[in-house]
Amino acid sequence: MGIKKVGLNRNVKPQSLVEKIFFLDFMKGLKTTIKHLFRKTITVDFPYEVSTPTIRFRGVHGLRNVDGTEADDFNSWIKKLKIKPPEMGETRCIACKFCQAACPVPELFTIKAEKLNVPEDHPHHGLKVLSVFDMDLSKCMFCGLCTQACPTDCIIHTDVYDLSSYTRKSWVLNKEELSRIADDFIARRGKEKFDEKSKWRQDQQIWPDYDTPRAKAWDGWMPSYTPNYINTQKGTNNSTESQ
Amino acid sequence: MSWISLEKATALKEKFNYIDVAESNGYVSVEVPKDKLISFLQFLKEDPDYAFKMFIDLTVIDHGQKENPRFQGVIILYSPEYKERIIVKSWATEETLPTLTNLWSGAKWAEREAWDMFGIKFEGHDNLVRMFMWEGYPYHPLRKDFPIRGIEDVELPSLNEVERGDQLEGLFNYSRMHTALPTLEDLEKTQKARMPKKKSQIVLNWGPLHPGTHGTIWFLFDLDGEYVQQCDIIIGQLHRGVEKIAENIGYQQFIPYTDRMDYIASINENHAYVVAAEKLLGIHDKVPPKAKWIRTMMAELSRINSHLLWLGTYALDLGALTMFLYTFREREKIMDILEGITGARFTINYFRIGGVFADLPAGALEAIEHFLKDFPERINDYENLLTRNRIWLKRNKDVCVLTEEDVYDYGLTGAVARASGVPYDVRKIDSYDMYDEVDFDIPVGEVGDSYDRYLVRMEEMRQSAKIIQQCIEKLRNDFTPDDPYFLEPEDPKKLKLSIDGRGLKLPQGEVYASTDNPRGELGFYIYNKKAAIKPHRVRIRSGAFYNLQVFTKAIIGRPIADAITLLSTIDPVVGETDR
Ligand code: SF4
Ligand code: SF4
Repeated sequence: MGIKKVGLNRNVKPQSLVEKIFFLDFMKGLKTTIKHLFRKTITVDFPYEVSTPTIRFRGVHGLRNVDGTEADDFNSWIKKLKIKPPEMGETRCIACKFCQAACPVPELFTIKAEKLNVPEDHPHHGLKVLSVFDMDLSKCMFCGLCTQACPTDCIIHTDVYDLSSYTRKSWVLNKEELSRIADDFIARRGKEKFDEKSKWRQDQQIWPDYDTPRAKAWDGWMPSYTPNYINTQKGTNNSTESQ
Repeated sequence: MSWISLEKATALKEKFNYIDVAESNGYVSVEVPKDKLISFLQFLKEDPDYAFKMFIDLTVIDHGQKENPRFQGVIILYSPEYKERIIVKSWATEETLPTLTNLWSGAKWAEREAWDMFGIKFEGHDNLVRMFMWEGYPYHPLRKDFPIRGIEDVELPSLNEVERGDQLEGLFNYSRMHTALPTLEDLEKTQKARMPKKKSQIVLNWGPLHPGTHGTIWFLFDLDGEYVQQCDIIIGQLHRGVEKIAENIGYQQFIPYTDRMDYIASINENHAYVVAAEKLLGIHDKVPPKAKWIRTMMAELSRINSHLLWLGTYALDLGALTMFLYTFREREKIMDILEGITGARFTINYFRIGGVFADLPAGALEAIEHFLKDFPERINDYENLLTRNRIWLKRNKDVCVLTEEDVYDYGLTGAVARASGVPYDVRKIDSYDMYDEVDFDIPVGEVGDSYDRYLVRMEEMRQSAKIIQQCIEKLRNDFTPDDPYFLEPEDPKKLKLSIDGRGLKLPQGEVYASTDNPRGELGFYIYNKKAAIKPHRVRIRSGAFYNLQVFTKAIIGRPIADAITLLSTIDPVVGETDR
């Protein structure tokens, strides 16, 4: 195994007398400083200029509504849990509480479903709807496990990150607020993140191509979003199997 | 695997007929009666055929109130000659165990922690006081009969929001009662207990809220003029009982908590836990290679990220303010990459037991490569500013030398051990994930002073960059978008593995697996009595905790100004030392 010895006299020369007398070590340091003096600014002038969070960013949660992009098994989930089939624009949540089960801090959720109060001959008799969905985001770790557990892709992370407030009360979001946040996010950036079946797109970009403030820290460089892997088909290269 | 073989351990039986040898997934442990423990350990340490010179960890398992004996001591040792580890266990009858401090000084804090958390007395320990809690705290929280919520016996209504004199109703409302809190007298008692005999006139308090301590560490220096005669450290201000949480939560659900231990290198914390859990499940070899390459790459990226923060704050503490700005510029780039790939900049939670939760987004490898292209030049800039600067040399050269002996004695790991000439690197010894397929060198120092620790970390960054480059090449050329990034178990009935981790059960057994965190060896010891969705005992072997312990020795006889240098070059993170 490779061992590389480091130390003064090993990979670092001690200071010579000339260097000591003429303060060459300080000169060298100053050279670096001066070099940086003529570089472009790299800082973002927040709040006049903001960089957009990446598409995978795990910000404030949202509850998605039915918009025709549900996964194929959405209806079978609805049947399984005896939920009233939602109309367009109604929440996708089926009150299965999978999100709560996956959450490291389950007490931050309050999820309740209620039986519909309709006469017996009504087609929705005996079915339930979501009545309460509260999340106390002051206890949330923004770990993303709830979104990965949700079978209907209802609960999602949005790119909203400013959650500061004067009261603790305003960190508790109810289902209307959560739906509004999701709708807003989907309208702005839904296409970037999800495909037609509400799954994560395969070609998500590492950060948005319109995010010029972010490029400042990278000296104006932007990725060209070429695919990561040269081979697009399985089996074109055998070396994976040999491992 | 770096573990003693069953044959070699059984051979011990010839000499010591009273021992029991057990094996679980290749992890061999030896059980020794309490009264024979010290002589047995002495043999292991000194015998040239075994030479378990290096202390790794000591902890206690609580088997539950009904068991008798209830507590069991667990000692993990490492043999640098044979590159093997061993577990030695001993039942703590009557809640006592003999002290190991005469064999390894590193056991001092570990025993104090075991006393603090389990109430096990170590006979012969010279100052068995609490480690994290304050003197006068009545409980031992890691015992199984201590509830996870704690015992709420103090009224503290100020936590609650009050509107018109009334408590509000709702989720955001906390109970008026709170778990015990230390009073000022308690803290005074704690301070006295930590340093019972003053040697000179002044005791200087440094911290707990001082920017130079990089977190909430409280130092006590017994000073003779400028020179330190005696030193002790009070930690625990950030103690959140992470081990207790781990024992009360699902396996996957615990990963976000590891983010919050060493928050500077949270990917590496995730990594250690994930590897340990996979080894207990026996699936570490089956994890898709693509996931392993991604994990290796991310772990090294995070190491660079962590070392950059170290370099910036270290130089800042020694008076070189500009460094901080330069390193944060590169850090910002890494943060951007992490944000793009994982969705979070700081508390990542990207790794899963069985792989990672998502594939790389478009442009990820490209961005990392762009970062790497620029990076060597940046390191040269840093070195130009510091390495041969006369002030830097004066503040670091020959300051607080740690010898090879200290490394074994205190269980020092990571860059601190390597700077003292010990090529101890878990990445090479234990070769988890893809570390045996990548080519890199272990930087090793000669003197063991602060300057060597600085040079070792600088070289580590270069080596990490080299590893990442190899990972990029491998990922780009050998994999396709369709390759799995998460393990699909062959028999889903037997093993329920999912990305969100609901219902994941781990089998009965024990495992100690560690990874090389930027701050030293981070090990997870998981002990499971029976197959369950929650572990019975999780012990976190924190590299920063053991490395910080040597501070109290290395600072003796040095002027007080060296405390800053020493602390910076040890580079502890309080989230991990306190857990
Ligand atoms: S992000 Fe994590 S902590 Fe927050 S609600 Fe979801 S699962 Fe719970
Ligand atoms: S997992 Fe999804 S559908 Fe189920 S309760 Fe949570 S948000 Fe609703």
